[in-house]
Amino acid sequence: MRFRGKAKWALLVCLVMVFSIVAGCGGNGSTSDKSKDQDVIKLGFLGATTGSVANYGIPGQKGMKMAIEEVNKNGGVLGKQLEGVYQDNKGDSTEISTITTRYITRDKVAALVGDPCTGLTKIAAKIAQENKVVIFSAGATGNGVVEIGDYVFRNTLLDKFAVPSVVDWMVNTKGWKNIAVITSLNNDYSVSLTPVFKDAIDKQGGKIVIEESINDEETDFTAQITKVKKAKPDVLVFTGYYREAALLMNEAKKQGLDINLIGGDGLYGQDLAKLGGKAVEEKVIFYCGFSFSGDESNPVSEKFLADYKAKYNEEPDMFSAQYYDAIMILAKAMKDANSTDPSVYKNELAKLKDYPGVSGNTTFRADREPIKSPICLITVKDGKLTLLDKIPLNIE
Amino acid sequence: MIWQQLLNGLTLGSTYALIALGYTMVYGIIQLINFAHGEIYMIGAFVGLFLVVNTGLNIGVALLGAMAFCMVLGMLVELIAYRPLRGRASRLSGIISAIGVSIFLSTLMVLIAQTNTRRYPDIFNIQTFQVGDLQVSSLQVIILVVATLLMIGLQLLVQKTRVGKAMRACSQDLEAAYLMGINVNRIISFTFAIGSALAAAGGVMVGIYYNAVWPYMGTMAGLKAFAAAILGGIGSIPGAMIGGLTLGVLEILGVAFLSSSYKDAIAFGILILVLIIRPQGIMGQKITKKV
Repeated sequence: MRFRGKAKWALLVCLVMVFSIVAGCGGNGSTSDKSKDQDVIKLGFLGATTGSVANYGIPGQKGMKMAIEEVNKNGGVLGKQLEGVYQDNKGDSTEISTITTRYITRDKVAALVGDPCTGLTKIAAKIAQENKVVIFSAGATGNGVVEIGDYVFRNTLLDKFAVPSVVDWMVNTKGWKNIAVITSLNNDYSVSLTPVFKDAIDKQGGKIVIEESINDEETDFTAQITKVKKAKPDVLVFTGYYREAALLMNEAKKQGLDINLIGGDGLYGQDLAKLGGKAVEEKVIFYCGFSFSGDESNPVSEKFLADYKAKYNEEPDMFSAQYYDAIMILAKAMKDANSTDPSVYKNELAKLKDYPGVSGNTTFRADREPIKSPICLITVKDGKLTLLDKIPLNIE
Repeated sequence: MIWQQLLNGLTLGSTYALIALGYTMVYGIIQLINFAHGEIYMIGAFVGLFLVVNTGLNIGVALLGAMAFCMVLGMLVELIAYRPLRGRASRLSGIISAIGVSIFLSTLMVLIAQTNTRRYPDIFNIQTFQVGDLQVSSLQVIILVVATLLMIGLQLLVQKTRVGKAMRACSQDLEAAYLMGINVNRIISFTFAIGSALAAAGGVMVGIYYNAVWPYMGTMAGLKAFAAAILGGIGSIPGAMIGGLTLGVLEILGVAFLSSSYKDAIAFGILILVLIIRPQGIMGQKITKKV
């Protein structure tokens, strides 16, 4: 008898769960059903708001919403209001194809904005290119993205452009010639950034005295730092993310290794300062297309920082800035082309030159690759990410 | 450099040993592999962090506070998730229940604290001593001393006190101990409390030493400590200590002389090798089962 009672409960719980799932789907769908296609310009958000890459998608979506609100407050685009369509692709490659197709066929979006990940962007870009809809990635830095076709754009600082200038600064301006390179082996970004750095170091006459590796999610880097210390480098190059950079520097400080660490914009995160404490102060330096603070010549970034803080009560990051810019750049191109038809406004978009965005100064090259110049070198000062120096981008 | 690396290994190993003790004690008495143990360690680190940051307590007091909190938590977990299954269902149900508790605790912590990694504030003025070629940080000394003291204390408790005697009796034969008038449930509860307190101490010290506390820190540390417990001989208290230290040193030497990509491979390779070659571990006793 007791068992039966339990079984009934179990059944009831199952039913409740099923209903809530059905209700949840209904709720999501209804936003897009009230389609007044003629009055609004729809923009499809690509990104994850749950799952392992949600920390790129969530701030990205916030930046996108903020930009849409601002555009609409200032009269919209060509007399129409912008409307964002938001689906969570969970960072999943099947999910993003479904969502991209849905945005294009059902919502009839004028542009797709995202995804922050290179691999996912490529999947969506192929679908967008086939259907002749503009896709604007606010995060993809890997190779082979804009090559997919003339409807594909991105506004990120590309490592292959930035690294040679940064290494030039490191080796020739600072005179740090003996270099230790540390890679995080289970981090794709790090694994693909390391050869870019090594290549540039070779070309600029630097010398790699030791190569070490770590893994993301680990905490014990004692053995690696002991090894690095013995090789007596002038500087560390670490190609991974901020968490591990902070932990590496903590360990270096503990072992009495007083040294700078240079890395890419994977080190961009407020947690760098929080986790690293004194160990990262003016020691960790990374490149980025822009700096939120300490850069008087870029008032838009500072204004964005203040507005974002007022709206969301948190600090923006690289993704919120890039999604924000993506919307603004798209709106500008539509206005300039006097059309919301992707096959028309994409030509205006490709002509973008010296656009002063919150994520830096952007120009599209003839092959649509973004050039962000100058590059900002950022460090931690008094627990805050602050501009250290600006260097021009030299591309052969 | 080898001495420096050995010291690094001993520090890492002593934290493994503290966690491994909890596994081995629980296994010794009720033959349950308590997979939630790594999460107790994680929660210990968070409680210590909370006490230091929010109440401004001295780190020593925070360490004791975290240990006390986890004692209660460990007993609660046993009471809610393991006791109802004991004797009624197969031993496998206990392990599944432990995995459930482990997932529950780590996701609960994600809800409370998000997935960000946090750090302990700079409470110590970390000093580094130069002993010959060796760089010894004050933190390493503190961890080694505290871990050693806790392990000696545990050994005294088990060997010299009445409760310890009861624990040993339970681990030899639970039913016989029950028939001799030992309150078996209370002893099991006590074992969980002690094991959890040691894990919490490990958590707080690791949090301070590596400056990293996050909700999933228990998963890997728990697995490593489990490997250490097997290596030392599961069920044996001195075995867990030796297993933990050995594993820590081997891992660090692996990174020092091979590559860090082998770090986890070394830990779990040892686990597999031990299970094949000497299933009872370094200190474990071979039990011949009468069928």
